Amino acid sequence: MTKRLVQGNEAVMLGAVKAGASFFAGYPISPSSEILAQASVYAASHPEFRFIQEEDEIASANAILGGSLAGAKSFTATSGPGFSLMQEAIGYGHKVGIPCVIVNVMRVGPATGMPTMPGQGDLNQARYGSTGDYTSIVFYPSTVAECYEYTIQAFNAAEESRSPVILMSDAFLGHLNEVADLDTIHVPIVPRTLEPLASGGIRLFSGVATYPDGEPATADADEFIRQYYESRDHRLEVAERYAFHEYGWNKDSDTLVIAFGITRRIAQPLAAHFALFRPIRIWPTLDKELTEIAARYKKIIVIEGSDGQYANVVERMLLRRVERVPLLGGRMSLEAIREGLDAIGMLPAELAPSGSESPARVG
Amino acid sequence: MAAKTIVIDGVGGQGVRVIGNTMASLLAVMGYEVTLLFDYDSSVRGGMSEAFLAYDRKPISNFVVECADVVLRLADRGPTHLTTEYVIADCDLMKPGERGEEIPFMQLGVDKFGRDLFGNMIALGRLLCVCDVDFTDKHLTEALPKKYIDENIAAIKYGYGLDQDSIKALVPEQAASSFAERYAEKVLAGVAPAEAVELASARS
Repeated sequence: MTKRLVQGNEAVMLGAVKAGASFFAGYPISPSSEILAQASVYAASHPEFRFIQEEDEIASANAILGGSLAGAKSFTATSGPGFSLMQEAIGYGHKVGIPCVIVNVMRVGPATGMPTMPGQGDLNQARYGSTGDYTSIVFYPSTVAECYEYTIQAFNAAEESRSPVILMSDAFLGHLNEVADLDTIHVPIVPRTLEPLASGGIRLFSGVATYPDGEPATADADEFIRQYYESRDHRLEVAERYAFHEYGWNKDSDTLVIAFGITRRIAQPLAAHFALFRPIRIWPTLDKELTEIAARYKKIIVIEGSDGQYANVVERMLLRRVERVPLLGGRMSLEAIREGLDAIGMLPAELAPSGSESPARVG
Repeated sequence: MAAKTIVIDGVGGQGVRVIGNTMASLLAVMGYEVTLLFDYDSSVRGGMSEAFLAYDRKPISNFVVECADVVLRLADRGPTHLTTEYVIADCDLMKPGERGEEIPFMQLGVDKFGRDLFGNMIALGRLLCVCDVDFTDKHLTEALPKKYIDENIAAIKYGYGLDQDSIKALVPEQAASSFAERYAEKVLAGVAPAEAVELASARS
């Protein structure tokens, strides 16, 4: 492959194939549907890759858990309301320890919301959407090439952690066409870690708390706590190997901007004025990295497509106040960022609209 | 050069995606870094449909175009925060104070190539001309879908070949409007009316 135009959703599909995925189950929903459509086309000419369009997202999520238990690297793709429907299955996948990848191409919610508009409001749901305590690994790329790269990493992390891993995207990133040469991206592939069912031995895949021999442990707090910490510690240890982030722009500034996914791209014109921290691994949070970097800056601004979901996380982590620039209603633009910075008194003079020198305004 | 930025403004079903995809593919074939983002309402037919296209010799970071070098307007549903240097519009879509031109693309598609659909490619040709994109037949052949390729290439070349005189011939009222603007300019500058008529006519 040479450099060519690739769509974000297409790059996710290509990354999944590169990672060794052989099963996709899904239900179409904007703005993720291209992943499903391309999986179906790919399956038509690659019999080793299986595709099924399910009746809804609940079935889709459960199907990929089943596919993974049966031996296939499996994935699905959805958006807002579909992601909500998948939460019970995600919890089951965490409880049982099933590697799989769930792609959430975020739109503006809640509910049906604005189906084709970009949002970043599912961050908390990606971490806390299911019941109980569990450790979720979540990545969020910023470019089409990264959609490819971090899809592969999501499959790798899923295999290593034996858990459902979430790849976040959004309506703009999913629908962005960008010139990329995916062949130049080399990510080692973690092979399948889970023996398929019927390959010998006893396998437990119950959502109920059980002892290792399969007997119910539904009233044994000690056993629950032992298993919980074992899985939590293992997933945190795996996540440490995937501590992807970006630190750059003007590191001599006294202000650190935190932006991720699509907002990082749109915020690029701020590069001369602020330092940047971009978490690519959204969950578990990059506490060590961000704490160390944030200590160098007097002020912190979080620019995000929600009303402070990540800003709240940063405040809790650093135990200090952060400024917020929420980009809501799908209005992901430099102008919206400028307005947000102006509202908190942090708009650099050079970025203020030039007024009379502006070209003709449209609309 | 700074990234060239283009917005194609239309409604679902008008060909915004076709024009955007074809131009982005052509520029990619020519070795440019290109970003193309479609922003659209969930109403597929009749809802707003925008394409934000940027191209450069360097990678492009912010791909959401807010200040476009050129807007190609097939309908007026565009983003309210957009500013532009130049507008290429189908008829009756230019707004007061804008610099640009009106061309009856869909009508030309019917008149010259038998189908309004080819109006999209005529518009693309004009857009490429205004943006000074110097492509070859080989680039076009690589970028275009195989279906109707000869007709599409002909339509693009037709659009590319339009100049100010032929546009004014296609839309006489635009020529009249341009004359009136130039005449008013001269009179306001203190030129005597008879001379202003002469000067305004000479430039048309």
